[in-house]
Amino acid sequence: MARISIDPVTRIEGHLRIDVEVDGGKVQKAWASCTMWRGLETILRGRDAREGWVFAQRFCGVCTTVHAIASVRAVEDALQLEIPANAQYIRNLILIAHALHDHIIHFYQLSSLDWVDIATIPKADPARAASIAEGYSNWPGNSRRELEAVQSKVKGMVDSGQLGIFSHGYWGHSAMRLSPELNLILFAHYLQALEFQRKSCQIVGVLGGKTPHIQNLAVGGVMNAINLNSLATFNMDRLGMLQSLLQDLIPFVQQAFLVDACLLSASYPEWFHYGRGVTNYLAVPDLPTDAKATQFDLPGGLIMNGNLASVQPIQNWRDQAFRAAVAEDVTHAWYKGEGAQKPWQGETEPEYTDFQADKKYTWVKAPRYNGEPIQVGPLANVLVGYASGHALTRKWTDTAFQTISSVHDSGTPGFNLTPEALQSTMGRYLARAIRSAMLSDLALQHWQLLTDNILKGDDTTYNPPQFPSHECEGVGMHEAPRGALSHWVIIDKGAFTNYQAVVPTTWNASPRDEKGIPGPYETSLISNPVVDPVKPLEVLRTVHSFDPCMACACHTLDASGRSIARVKVL
Amino acid sequence: MSTTQVDNRGGRSARRIAVVGLGNVLLGDDGFGPLAVEMFRSLYECDSKVEILDLGTPGLDLAPYLYDADLVVIADAVHPREEEKPGTLFVYCDEDLASPQAQLRLTSHDPGVQESLAQLRLAGHAPSEVIVVGVVPESCNLGSGISLSVLNTCLVAVDTIARLLVERAIDCRRRHAPVQRNVWWLSGSA
Repeated sequence: MARISIDPVTRIEGHLRIDVEVDGGKVQKAWASCTMWRGLETILRGRDAREGWVFAQRFCGVCTTVHAIASVRAVEDALQLEIPANAQYIRNLILIAHALHDHIIHFYQLSSLDWVDIATIPKADPARAASIAEGYSNWPGNSRRELEAVQSKVKGMVDSGQLGIFSHGYWGHSAMRLSPELNLILFAHYLQALEFQRKSCQIVGVLGGKTPHIQNLAVGGVMNAINLNSLATFNMDRLGMLQSLLQDLIPFVQQAFLVDACLLSASYPEWFHYGRGVTNYLAVPDLPTDAKATQFDLPGGLIMNGNLASVQPIQNWRDQAFRAAVAEDVTHAWYKGEGAQKPWQGETEPEYTDFQADKKYTWVKAPRYNGEPIQVGPLANVLVGYASGHALTRKWTDTAFQTISSVHDSGTPGFNLTPEALQSTMGRYLARAIRSAMLSDLALQHWQLLTDNILKGDDTTYNPPQFPSHECEGVGMHEAPRGALSHWVIIDKGAFTNYQAVVPTTWNASPRDEKGIPGPYETSLISNPVVDPVKPLEVLRTVHSFDPCMACACHTLDASGRSIARVKVL
Repeated sequence: MSTTQVDNRGGRSARRIAVVGLGNVLLGDDGFGPLAVEMFRSLYECDSKVEILDLGTPGLDLAPYLYDADLVVIADAVHPREEEKPGTLFVYCDEDLASPQAQLRLTSHDPGVQESLAQLRLAGHAPSEVIVVGVVPESCNLGSGISLSVLNTCLVAVDTIARLLVERAIDCRRRHAPVQRNVWWLSGSA
């Protein structure tokens, strides 16, 4: 039995450590530990509820807008304050652009090098690579010339012996199986992705005033002044610029990102059998299409025990079952107390004990839904949509499945993927790409909703909030890039008296609970293969499939606890 | 692939200069970068092609803001190799950032800076010049505000940023009267 401790140094905020026990080439037990205190909510107590979002936006350096939006939604919920339709659409467009940015950077920059071996790229035949890529997609970045240029950059890097940031990858690992041509195609898109990250930031900037910290939010709506006759405000020029940025971004999502996720799926079919993990899924409704937020373009719901035949819908943000179901357990987390508490009553009082696998071992609380662990994220989003018969989810899921059956060329018969098989490590990667394709369609739809509403003569963007003299409580939901996010607030005389954020990574990186039931990361690693304990690439594939807010440096320990390898992972 | 440069306000510019603050404003001296760029904006008036950006802690999301820039000046809290007194100011240039010997570790934002630059270089969209204006922090605890030593250095850092721009023939003048600073995170309760 080998014990491997993967203790990542984050590249962004927050730290994650994964410990696994490996026997017979497979993971037997796993622990997920967040090594950074997440007590940021305490800073909000006593603050004016109208400006909570400005602070919440700084909880995380990457998920800025998602916390800002969840915060204003929570206060609006507490006040039962409706916001104008224009405000919904402007917020939705910001959320869509942010999510596309986030999903693209996850797929290419944070996780593709778990699957793509750049060291083989010098051996690729660019002409053949171009003909393969052009067979699957119309993406203009697949030309032979483009691929030759990328290959020569990689050759230069490999020949000079200066791999730079890539020098610590698991190149040549036996679990890397793409042909040199496929490696070249995916790495070319890795570099092209940078341009599209920039475009999605520009969209957020046009709408939000600044990026990454948007300035245009307010409890009650948005602060974008709409006047078609004024140059200084939100006008047709601005709408035209938005449309053209969206039209630049969308082909990359649909013709490069989604197709690449299908190529990976087809090349690594066994990864639809690993990483299943917790099969209870939660998605919250998002992208409202009306001022009162009664209709949503992304459906919410709950699936239990992987049973896709039965979805308990979450119709809207006032869903009472959701409010009654969520609690956070601190039995195994470095906080005072034991057992579970409702977020509104939640405390964040630290009690650090060092890593004790049987006791407390992480800064992450264990959120539970009616006592059960839950997996959130794009996979939950896609499964809930698919199982509820949501047309857009079905359109892009079916498109992906057809692509996979047509690109499978490794000698075995093409395989037909089912929604059930998405419940896996590779399913999480594919679901993120499917969700991105859905969002790219919705981006233009919400741009049209906004434009039509403005042309109809509606220029309202803000309803001023009125704070009651009595205490009130609210929940703000958002189906964020990493999954269901909820901010829970109690407000008294216009100021917060309690504030708790139940974030997607808390659901997924959850430790064991009072009953000893592990969370999604921990469960998903059971039976995960590990060919070489010194290079635990396969563990990283499953952990990265959840898009934890970080990359990692791995300290691999042998049974005696001596450090035998230290590997920085890209 | 061809790109057009469109800034946040939709204007087009041939040349791009970014003055960037990195750090988490909720974590004490880690908020040096955002404070420095806000003070710079308040005290200096620059050519319109200079973008002043408080980017927080973007990690790899930093890349889009450096994309194709001519000059990037990054204000950040740094941990130099040798023990240095809190409030000490460091200026690092491109070679310091690229050299493996430099062992430069910026607070929690270093991998983001180095890796974003490396990716952009490979993609052919790296900034022509990157300079880091760094200060050694005293305390990076939640809600502890900016320490006096870092605050004092901040004014020197702001003048340093201005000098770096002026040395590169970029229009940057001290304002006759400072404009309102927006340092919302350093006021109020909690």
